[in-house]
Amino acid sequence: MNFDYTDEQEAFRREIREWYEENLPDGWIEGDRDLPDDEDEREQFLREWQRKLHEGGWAAIHWPEEYGGRDASLMQQLIYQQEKARVNPPPERSEIGVDLVGPAIEGFGTEEQKERFLPKILNGEELWCIGYSEPDVGSDLASLQCKAVDEGDQFRINGQKIWTTHAHKADWCYMFTRTDDSGPKHHGITALIVDMDQEGVTNERIRQITDEREFNQVYFDDATTPKENVLNEVDEGWEVAMRQLSFERISLSQSLDLERRFDELVEFCKNETRGGTPLVEDPHIREKLAEFDTRIQAAKLTYFRNVSKQMNGDLGAEASFGKLYDSEVAADLHRFRVKLGGPKAALWGDDSPNGAAKDSLANISIRIGGGTSDIQRNIIGERVLGLPKGDQE
Amino acid sequence: MDFTLSDEQNQMQESVRDYLESEGGIELARRQMDGEDVVDEVWDGLAEMDYPALSVPLEYGGLGDDLLYLSLLFEEAGRVALPGPLPETLGFTVPLLAELGTDEQKEQFLPAIADGDLRASVALYDDATESLPGAIRMEAEPTDDGYRLDGTKTLVPYAESVDRVVVPARTRQDTGYDGITLFFVDPAAAEAEQLDTLDKTRPLYELTFDAVEVSGARLGPVDGGGDALKRAIDRLNVSMCAMLVGGADEAVDRSVEYGKQREQFDKPIGQFQAVKHRIADMWLDTEAARSLTYYAAWAIANDEDDARQAVSRATWYCTERCGELFEDDIFNHGATGYTWDHDGHIFLKQAKTWANLLGSPTEHRRRIADIRL
Repeated sequence: MNFDYTDEQEAFRREIREWYEENLPDGWIEGDRDLPDDEDEREQFLREWQRKLHEGGWAAIHWPEEYGGRDASLMQQLIYQQEKARVNPPPERSEIGVDLVGPAIEGFGTEEQKERFLPKILNGEELWCIGYSEPDVGSDLASLQCKAVDEGDQFRINGQKIWTTHAHKADWCYMFTRTDDSGPKHHGITALIVDMDQEGVTNERIRQITDEREFNQVYFDDATTPKENVLNEVDEGWEVAMRQLSFERISLSQSLDLERRFDELVEFCKNETRGGTPLVEDPHIREKLAEFDTRIQAAKLTYFRNVSKQMNGDLGAEASFGKLYDSEVAADLHRFRVKLGGPKAALWGDDSPNGAAKDSLANISIRIGGGTSDIQRNIIGERVLGLPKGDQE
Repeated sequence: MDFTLSDEQNQMQESVRDYLESEGGIELARRQMDGEDVVDEVWDGLAEMDYPALSVPLEYGGLGDDLLYLSLLFEEAGRVALPGPLPETLGFTVPLLAELGTDEQKEQFLPAIADGDLRASVALYDDATESLPGAIRMEAEPTDDGYRLDGTKTLVPYAESVDRVVVPARTRQDTGYDGITLFFVDPAAAEAEQLDTLDKTRPLYELTFDAVEVSGARLGPVDGGGDALKRAIDRLNVSMCAMLVGGADEAVDRSVEYGKQREQFDKPIGQFQAVKHRIADMWLDTEAARSLTYYAAWAIANDEDDARQAVSRATWYCTERCGELFEDDIFNHGATGYTWDHDGHIFLKQAKTWANLLGSPTEHRRRIADIRL
């Protein structure tokens, strides 16, 4: 057991740090992290950032070099995560493509598909969305109903997807469709790549509780996609949905960001006063801060433990610790931040103290998306601890 | 960066587990609870396995292992709530002797501990309503060839089953860690009275020193033992945390087993999400507690800047959260869990005892805040 980094690893850290310090938007490191309010300007801003990342070689360090990555080792990926958490860079426009679509294409795609799609994911030229959920299909993905009918040289798609992040600006949709409903529900699912720019595809943006509109309902009315856009075999999409990502990717954790959040909160408590006394002098607040300090360290240390196991090649289902534990700590931390805002916590936008209200709301989606906290507890109960599966499975 | 145990550490932990199981596992704690004194038996067995030698420096016949390694032993001991002054002797006393002892003292005591011939405990409290270090009040008065100890220490673990007790006393008026001198004395010189305790696997005593004169018993500098004592208490806290982590791991296992085997409404109760999710949460807290404990042990062993913070994090988390987790384990077992015969309460009582013995969760959170803020 050790917590040291080699000279080579430290050099890599410096390289990342220097690049970010040079290339982050003006004022970003100093704490001016506002994105443009106007949607078009924001898109332009994010597109520009993604372009810079790509040029710097940082868009997907875990991808193989032949597709524009760096073949980064798990340790390098960890260091990269740490450095990103330190500077809290702008969101990555190609994140969905890099993290979820690219690996699926790499793992299941034909050579033609890889050549056609992977480079443009990385340079941000093409944006992707993913069609998983449907109005009646949430955690139980295998019961999906959106239909794709084989017409010889193409599939004709009818149905609806929902909660589709970025569908309103995506060029492509990587989606799961029902091609056969005669057998068990896990069979007869087909993974398709579908061009979003066609008459048969329309979308309606969903207004979220944060007043953002990143989610969509997407309607497929006789949309089509050519046969060459099938991923894996027809009817064998479940395998694509369930498999481990193919690029060796370090497991991710919110804990590194939470550490920075905590530092920011401590600063806030030192500067903010009530009745002339800084919040940080209130014994109750001090104790709560210590509690968060501990829980965040527990999250981070357990993350390090799991990452170390991953590096040694023996990380199992216990990797599911992070999503649940971290998001619960985050939920409590953000609620606490809202409370510390005082009466002013009634305000929104730039006037919201510490921006806490929005963080607190946004964290709810982290607890729901990508397998709800309830599903995470099922996974832990069944896959880590070996408890009997429920009736639903 | 590698936050995993080495193969050797894993093997050591497994062999301790196998050994303790072969000795009867939690039955030893049960027998102690029922009034039997099993400490001699436990210790003889441990000595045969060379476990008391673990933290003793190599030059004194020990194995020279650090607190992290020792924590793995404690974790397994905690899994069966092993009776005996294991944390007090190995986690607390040995490093203190190694740090403060004269060559003569080290020669006299360390090899004996390594061989399993000497056990030790610690007598911190003069006032069971006060927290440390204010609760250390006994005064030690210099005599011609030593000191005179006068007063009653309380909450002393295993006072009748050990050969020496570390006794901090005041040689200068103070309420903090200043002005404390440590003594390493034979408890036979004092009068011991067993207290009625919540946790009956770990007996506590009142130890009355009636103007007892001791010579050659001073451990470390006059007035200046407080600093080392503070760090020794940190190590004792980590040792207890490790035992609680072992107990927590065991509690999760027990709840899982019961969840598989107990059926209601024609289903194993572990299939119900109310039960499954509670056990999943127990597991989360166990893993978090383990990470904090390993790190605290490592930080102490490597003299890291954040060691004291790390100890307080582990201590409040393990005592408070594991305490709740042990209640959950009892709850998962329904009415059966509420019976004396079910083992759940053994761990719960230990956690409740330790939650206040070496700084309450609140005190540890304040300590973190004072360092961090």
